Amino acid sequence: MSDEFVTTVPDAALELALSRIASSTAAGEGSDMQGLRLDEVVVNMGPQHPSTHGVLRLVVTLDGEMVKDVIPVIGYLHRCKEKLAEKRTYYQYIPIPDRTEYVAGMNCEWGYVMTVEKLAGIRPTRRAEVIRVIMAELNRIASHLVAVGTFTADLAPLGTAMVFYMFRDREQILDLLESASGARMMFNYFRFGGVRYDLPDGWVEKCREFLDGFPKMVQEYESLVETNAIFLQRCLGKGVISQQDVVDYAITGPNARASGVAHDLRRTRPYSVYPELDFDLCLGQHGDVYDRYKVRIEEMKQSRAIILQCLDMLPKGPVQVGSLKPPYVITPPPGAVYTAQENPRGEYGTYIVSDGSRYPYRLKYRDPCFINLQIFPKLLSGNKIADAVAISGSMDLVLGGIDR
Amino acid sequence: MGIEIGSVKLSMDELATRVAQEFAGELTNVSVQEPDTIVARLERSELRQVARRLHDLAEIAYDSLNWIAAVDYRTHLESVYHLYSYATNTYLELHVEVPRAKAAVETVCDIWPAADWHEREAWDLMGIRYEGHPDLRRILLKDDWIGHPLRKDYVDLAENHPHV
Repeated sequence: MSDEFVTTVPDAALELALSRIASSTAAGEGSDMQGLRLDEVVVNMGPQHPSTHGVLRLVVTLDGEMVKDVIPVIGYLHRCKEKLAEKRTYYQYIPIPDRTEYVAGMNCEWGYVMTVEKLAGIRPTRRAEVIRVIMAELNRIASHLVAVGTFTADLAPLGTAMVFYMFRDREQILDLLESASGARMMFNYFRFGGVRYDLPDGWVEKCREFLDGFPKMVQEYESLVETNAIFLQRCLGKGVISQQDVVDYAITGPNARASGVAHDLRRTRPYSVYPELDFDLCLGQHGDVYDRYKVRIEEMKQSRAIILQCLDMLPKGPVQVGSLKPPYVITPPPGAVYTAQENPRGEYGTYIVSDGSRYPYRLKYRDPCFINLQIFPKLLSGNKIADAVAISGSMDLVLGGIDR
Repeated sequence: MGIEIGSVKLSMDELATRVAQEFAGELTNVSVQEPDTIVARLERSELRQVARRLHDLAEIAYDSLNWIAAVDYRTHLESVYHLYSYATNTYLELHVEVPRAKAAVETVCDIWPAADWHEREAWDLMGIRYEGHPDLRRILLKDDWIGHPLRKDYVDLAENHPHV
């Protein structure tokens, strides 16, 4: 092949990895002519590596099996969602947040809709509020099932058995969400001041039926992995995030609670009907891979309890404030508002600047995965490469949210 | 909303007054946004020393940086710092004005490690240069992208992107 087919796309991350090796090498000692140490290898994990759960690329410097340095490279799924907001009306933009953290669409939509409601001073109806909590918590269970399922697949001892168990059960939740909203994952269900459709006939019974069977499913998951010696050995004491790290790197969600930090926006910055609901915060003690797994399992049980309470208190009435149709055009007064809700992965916030027109002037996401990913170089360095895969699986990243 | 510091109980307004007194002359336009956020403006020349002191405050330290947003107000740019205090469970939103002509502000990523990627993102999409940042590369766009797309005057030209 002649040289004209060779492209020279710049790759700053790779150059950085190589320069870091070069600068850490004492002159002449075990190095080749370019100054690279002969026992260190730079490996490109991703963006198409299966353990990266999307299109995350890690430029990993290995010394034998040990990870010495990690440079995360993101942006492969960047779809300019913040720029898109400036060209769409508030109403037209509702389907887009679904596509940030696509395994928890209900939660993401809620984050956006809640911010606009605060900006425009709209209060949803009581029935809509309760339905929102039900949908968000169902989606939280579905999201944790994906998180734990794919994480156990990364660990290998169980192969993909657990994934199939969990995806099988998650399908029941997606059926419920589909029958309410019309879509499996990209729901477009929330509206300013309510939700798009009322629950269809028989939905509550179907939901109860699922919840009744759910404890047995969780028991099955637990019995599959928690008695598995290989699973435990690969999880216990690995990838520890200290409480100081949680504060320094602004880590939120199950990853923070696994380290024993009792931070949950449903408690610390309560919204919707959460103050009336009775649920426990699930806290870990050590902040290792196992605790992050266990916190998610326990949170699914708590979500079930929340949904049951909501089904009991589900009031009658309209699901949309004002007329039956949602407000298509809204013009919030000028100003800036930030609100956040507890996404399955942490604090999912939206900061909207309004200039009084029909379009958001500026929209900014505070995505939990983007922020949780920042600790990777510190967290993965010093581990074996196979453990690095386990640790990154336990952090539960969704690239749609990271790249936005 | 009540805030407890030791045995002392404060309201949100009292906390805002306390923060305003602590940084008299530095933080301006201090106000409370319900339910739990203090909003204030700050000169960019004072950002670093105020940031350091906010991080180390006794009892009400704003020890965690939640996010940084860059906003283009056409006449000027703004770098917005959203801080969280684990001690008081409150937020502090700092608005720092950045002139378009010299869009640069000092980094805070040695004070709050979480600032690192936010500053890279703001540089990438809005073109605010964070001086002193150890690794101010583009983060979401490609390394050879030209321009900063979230600027209101950004024009996308195909010839800027040879590798598309």
